[in-house]
Amino acid sequence: MLYQILEKLDNKFIFPEAQAHCDIPCGIYDPSTAQIDALTVVRMMDLMAGLQGGDDKSKIEYHNSMSRYIAVKEEHAEKAKHEIRVIWGDYFKKDKHPNVDDLVQKIMQLGSKCRQSVDRETGLAFVEAINEFSAKFWETKGITTKKAKAPYAPALEMVYPVL
Amino acid sequence: MIPDYKNGDFVVILRSPFCIRRFKIGDTIIFNHIHYGVLIKTIENILPTGELFVRGKVENSLDSRRLGYVHINSVIGKVIWLIGKE
Repeated sequence: MLYQILEKLDNKFIFPEAQAHCDIPCGIYDPSTAQIDALTVVRMMDLMAGLQGGDDKSKIEYHNSMSRYIAVKEEHAEKAKHEIRVIWGDYFKKDKHPNVDDLVQKIMQLGSKCRQSVDRETGLAFVEAINEFSAKFWETKGITTKKAKAPYAPALEMVYPVL
Repeated sequence: MIPDYKNGDFVVILRSPFCIRRFKIGDTIIFNHIHYGVLIKTIENILPTGELFVRGKVENSLDSRRLGYVHINSVIGKVIWLIGKE
């Protein structure tokens, strides 16, 4: 009875709505985009280091290039973090995959550090942590992985699924 | 027991700011999310900063690992009564 009354009131006054479930889910997950984002971060660090040792810093071209490298580094570090968060939140289940939380925390912290600094070792650690995450991800699907050098700069060893 | 929320259910809420100091783990809140709009989720944890870690009821529901922590300012209210369709 109360429900019917509310229903009539809703039809007349249109109550605000809230969503309880808002994910599809599509089931499409792949850590490769996060891996490429992490590689991009290291690439930007290398380009910034190269620029530092070269052009006259008073030149407008120097500032333009450095600004763009910084912007791309920021964008891709955050994108990598976002992609990992999505797979961690939507795919991994705490009770079935108990060892992932600490790795994700490490990736988040390394990603932030990559934004704050241009330390290449931090960038390499970021790539390595995401590679480790990728290996764990493919393992849950029963897919073996291999390591191979990326075919583009900075040509770091990456984890690839053997499909 | 946390009730399921089904399409068409009505909820009565205690609107913010009257509910702000009365949050506890297990409370169900309605809040605004910048990307997903108005959501209804359960408080799983309250951080020392006052931010809320929220989760949904079913396995595939989004939780704060994807949504981020919920700031008190984005809370619309706390659910105090569910009037279900059935």
